[in-house]
Amino acid sequence: MFRTCDITGFKVDLRSEKLIRYNAVFAVISLLMAVVAALLLVFTRYQPMHLLGAEWYYRLVTFHGLNALIFWIIFFEVAGLYFGSTVILNTRFCSPKTGWWAFGLMVAGLVISNIIILMGKADVMLTSYTPLKAHPLYYLGIILFAVGALIAVILFFGNLMIARREKTYGETMPLVAYGLMTAAIIAVITLASGALIYIPTFLWSLGLIDNVDPAMYKLIWWGLGHSSQQINVAAMVSIWYMTSFLTVGGTSINEKVSRSAFVLYILFICLASAHHLLTDPGVSSAWKVWNTSYAMYLAVLASMIHAFAVPSSFEVAQRKWGFNKGLFQWLAKAPWGNPAFSAIILAIIGFGFIGGTTGVIFGMEQTNIIVHNTIAIPGHFKGTVVIGTTLTFMGITYYLIPLIFRRKIVGFKLAQWQPWLFFIGIAMLSIGMIVLGQLGVPRRHWDNTFSGGPFSHNFNPAVDFFWVITMLGGVIAFTATLIWILIVVFSVFWGPKVNGPQDMQLTISPLPPEGKPHKGFEAPGTLVLTFLFLLVFLALFFLNWKWLAATWNVN
Amino acid sequence: MSLLSPKEGWYDTKVSKDEKMWMVIALILCLAMFVWMILWHVYGKQNPSSITYRTTTTEFAKLSEAYIKRNLVGMDNGVPVVRPEPNSDVFLLAEMWRFSPAMILIKDQSYNFHISSKDLVHGFSLQPVNMNFQIYPGYDYVLKFTPTETGEFKIVCNEFCGIGHHTMIGKIIVIEKDEDLKLYGYENMKTKPDPIIEESDDKPLSEEQMVTLGEQLYALKGCIGCHSTDGSVLLAPSWKGLYGKTEDIKEGGKKSTVTVDDAYIKESILEPQKKITIGFESTMMPPTPMSDKEIAQITAFIKSLKN
Repeated sequence: MFRTCDITGFKVDLRSEKLIRYNAVFAVISLLMAVVAALLLVFTRYQPMHLLGAEWYYRLVTFHGLNALIFWIIFFEVAGLYFGSTVILNTRFCSPKTGWWAFGLMVAGLVISNIIILMGKADVMLTSYTPLKAHPLYYLGIILFAVGALIAVILFFGNLMIARREKTYGETMPLVAYGLMTAAIIAVITLASGALIYIPTFLWSLGLIDNVDPAMYKLIWWGLGHSSQQINVAAMVSIWYMTSFLTVGGTSINEKVSRSAFVLYILFICLASAHHLLTDPGVSSAWKVWNTSYAMYLAVLASMIHAFAVPSSFEVAQRKWGFNKGLFQWLAKAPWGNPAFSAIILAIIGFGFIGGTTGVIFGMEQTNIIVHNTIAIPGHFKGTVVIGTTLTFMGITYYLIPLIFRRKIVGFKLAQWQPWLFFIGIAMLSIGMIVLGQLGVPRRHWDNTFSGGPFSHNFNPAVDFFWVITMLGGVIAFTATLIWILIVVFSVFWGPKVNGPQDMQLTISPLPPEGKPHKGFEAPGTLVLTFLFLLVFLALFFLNWKWLAATWNVN
Repeated sequence: MSLLSPKEGWYDTKVSKDEKMWMVIALILCLAMFVWMILWHVYGKQNPSSITYRTTTTEFAKLSEAYIKRNLVGMDNGVPVVRPEPNSDVFLLAEMWRFSPAMILIKDQSYNFHISSKDLVHGFSLQPVNMNFQIYPGYDYVLKFTPTETGEFKIVCNEFCGIGHHTMIGKIIVIEKDEDLKLYGYENMKTKPDPIIEESDDKPLSEEQMVTLGEQLYALKGCIGCHSTDGSVLLAPSWKGLYGKTEDIKEGGKKSTVTVDDAYIKESILEPQKKITIGFESTMMPPTPMSDKEIAQITAFIKSLKN
């Protein structure tokens, strides 16, 4: 039932390994479908090309959203949860049979929903705001997928219980498993919200319920839609800590702080989804301000804590390895040739500087007025979910291929370039979209010329330039994703077998030597970087408020 | 060590100076943003309103229809144009796929917008000012706008609302004085709305009045979205020269022909799916409830659109 890994020394439950592999494979399939759709969408919105017709444009926006935000991410997370709860904790899988049931439900959900969308029976966008109605099978597909995911999360807790009872991990649960546990708890809250809203909507689509109130729908839907992104954040940050350990032997300089930050995510993120309703009728300003400040900022605070804790874990380990000169030698001498390392560092930068800054500013009650439902919003979450989560998942896959699939990475040179290419592409796409949104360009909109409408509108001429940036970014990011998928597929199916540590292309760092105790800052380089982040944030903050102040008065 | 159990004593490890510093700064930043939002409510001029009324789609559509009838000063590309008094209530209806009415506002005057939807969730995106709000069916969102600049502005729908979403666009003109109307081609608009045509049982309306009312309904009921009056083909047959014409239709899958007369028009309004003109099988006409009087007025309007 077990093999002992000849590279890491961990005990690996073979049944768990198989489940991890299959879930990961479906994650990659979902990603492939998502990015093919994405490329077609970019070529449509870029007006000089305007590739798809209106019908297929809206259809593929729905398809892209579901496959990218739900299927790709959650399949990968299930693989991650299984990995975190068995391999890292040296324990066995509580019920592999149930694991296969969960997998089966998730695959069934994916297949049903996607077929219904492609048949044109569910052109409702991922959000499917009522009273926009899709075919009942569309909702059923999502419900099946969610039930499967929920079972997977429960299995994760089952594995934790076994590990705890059998004391397979020592006194305290490792930080990575702790972070993944956070993700799993948030997943339960999220999936509960999902059930709360998708089940009535499903019944409504069958005609068994008269109506689903649109404001209530939107409120609860975002309990799913936003909280699910927090699963991603918790999982992603856990992987950041894991990568620090694997690449330089680093760990959080204060585990209590890092763990507390994870707890903040659990406590506050569900309420924070209120920031999707900032310009909506029905809820008062007091409600909006309270939920987006009290709740959201405590979750933001958690991310800011990780923003220091993760890079400092690299820095402190590197300094122990002797790269102690100046502020940034630790960074310059980092293992940049390791694609997992570069992917994670780039993910941190993108998540913080692009996704994080815009997320906080767009999530304030008044500044939301100038971006709500513009293309700046998807631009923002390209920064969080795509550069942050997806690039992180891509990066860690470079470790999963040799350790879990036991294959060498085919095209390793290409793999070293891939994270950079992906980062550049998505950064261009994301920044392009954010600027376009600030200029008023709507999201999910087929025709910027409004042909067929009673009037027309010409956006600021600057949009032409940013559309080019967005389109080029999309093409680069698509290419980088394709490269990643090809590397994964070729490695997993046809790559040379890994027979031991000598076959590892990515190094696994031993623990660094104990550092000398010293006075002063532990991680001065990181502190400088976080201050840089603060400056960028403040600049964007005041810029946005200045733009807001220039609009009409409203109250 | 994040993959292994942490070293003993991890719980009591002191937080390093730099990490502590950063956390304090982060916390202060969060608190400052909280206070900032509240202060903007006091000193800032752009705050989403907290006023919402519960309504129903039919009730709000009626309100909007009555409002437009009372304030109509002209038409712009088939969209009714109104000129509300400063500080008055303005009813803006969003429906698949148009905003009505278009309006003429005065700079630096306030208007109480009542915004709601007749069908799906829509988006209110004022361009190029770039102010965005959400529109729900069944909720009347009251926003008090004060335009601070003159010019021509558009309302773009930025919430997906079906296949015609990208054609959904409305218009607001902001002027300082009446002469400015020229700049926007609105110089022919009436300065005051027409007196309402009173309908009473003992005094039948003239044919001309019927046509006027029919034209209003054409705009108000949204016929305009799919039926043109100039012969161009949109999503449904044009009304130009339609009356008296012989049309090829499909009824229950069977092909036949029909002459467009009063009875056929009435039937097509009440049961749009029964007889479908060949060439328009894929677009469904939404149910458009109308009284017999209104149908007569629409018919009069169609009759007036001769080739």
